[in-house]
Amino acid sequence: MSEWRDQLLQMLPGSSLLVWAVVLGGLGLWFRVALLDRPTALFSRILGLLSLVLLGFWLPRFGGWAEQVTFWLLASVAVLTAGTAISTRSPVYMAIWFALSLLATSGLFLFQNAQFIGFATITVYAGAIVVTFLFVLMLAQPEGDAPYDRVSWAWFSAPLALLAGGVLLAAMLLTFSPDGPGRPDASLGPVVPPSALATDQHHVARLGGELYSRHLIAVEVVGTVLLVAMVGAVAIVIQGKSAYVPGRQDGSRIRGRRDAPSASSGGAP
Amino acid sequence: MNEAALLVNFLIVGGLLFVTGMVGFLVRRNLIVMFLSAEMMLQGVSVSLIAWGRFHQDLGGQMLALFIIAIAAAEAGIALALILMLYLRSQTLDVAFWHDLREEGQPPYVDQGIPETHREEHKWPRLTPSGVRPEVDQEEQMHRSRV
Repeated sequence: MSEWRDQLLQMLPGSSLLVWAVVLGGLGLWFRVALLDRPTALFSRILGLLSLVLLGFWLPRFGGWAEQVTFWLLASVAVLTAGTAISTRSPVYMAIWFALSLLATSGLFLFQNAQFIGFATITVYAGAIVVTFLFVLMLAQPEGDAPYDRVSWAWFSAPLALLAGGVLLAAMLLTFSPDGPGRPDASLGPVVPPSALATDQHHVARLGGELYSRHLIAVEVVGTVLLVAMVGAVAIVIQGKSAYVPGRQDGSRIRGRRDAPSASSGGAP
Repeated sequence: MNEAALLVNFLIVGGLLFVTGMVGFLVRRNLIVMFLSAEMMLQGVSVSLIAWGRFHQDLGGQMLALFIIAIAAAEAGIALALILMLYLRSQTLDVAFWHDLREEGQPPYVDQGIPETHREEHKWPRLTPSGVRPEVDQEEQMHRSRV
């Protein structure tokens, strides 16, 4: 495995595999995102896969074969479905690809022995948030296939966004790479004494204990934030409905809504 | 298991998810797609946080990921209410509609030509025809009951 890696490192010119991986992945994503309507899907998929393979060669090994293969599978599914999600034209397919990416991400959480977060991600994100977005999509865009899903901003938007993303990613990767300046060492040390967190039997119980002891005020604040968000959402809907005058712009496109206000305004108590 | 290498692996996956969400947020124009891209960025941050928490043997990373989920739920509720209201006013999910809010003197944003939709993408599955088409009796067609 390592001699393949060395051979590949010698074969490719340039500083490292990492630069090639980032550049190829950016190109693949650009072909998909900037040219949403062009039939370059296969080419961009090949570029993306190649980039992921290069990145996989660059990444340091951390364990045995079973762990490595599990991680690679979950990580590549998460990243590839995320890339597909932002480059599909149909928003419904985008939500479904994103849900798949969330499933793979929660698999990664389980891999790190964060069971509660993993299942909360599946339940809250994939189960609630994505499905609610799909409901709104059904309300707002039932015909699908809108022209603004087929076009991006002006021509320079996608290259600029990808350049910014690539610079961000490369800076982070070079910083945290095993020979970079910010390479992880245990000098910061555990905040609580290490108690074999990885093989903890009562992980969720410890999580709950920590949540309600060290972070009790944060829990209360988050509960308040959720309450305020709920009230705010209701207030936005009520205020927006009263400010909206049907028929002022193009109200005829809302079926059955033009004659509704005349009936309700006459008979308002 | 080499914990430092594991941390680097997970940081890279988190960074990839974050960057993908960022590119989606900057490039796409559908409001709903933009908000889902923002959620994707939050996912990338959660992956990194949990990896750091495991590396330091501390539950703080998982705590922060938990709070991220709660805040994302609140954000999704408000965002959906806003999107519905914006849709009621503009009849479109296109964020470029709101270039009315630009500063005075700025030129409006004009699309440079929207590509046509491909016909072949609306292909529905079809049964292969088999046998011969039966003779249609015009008289029976006219007098057939509408049940």
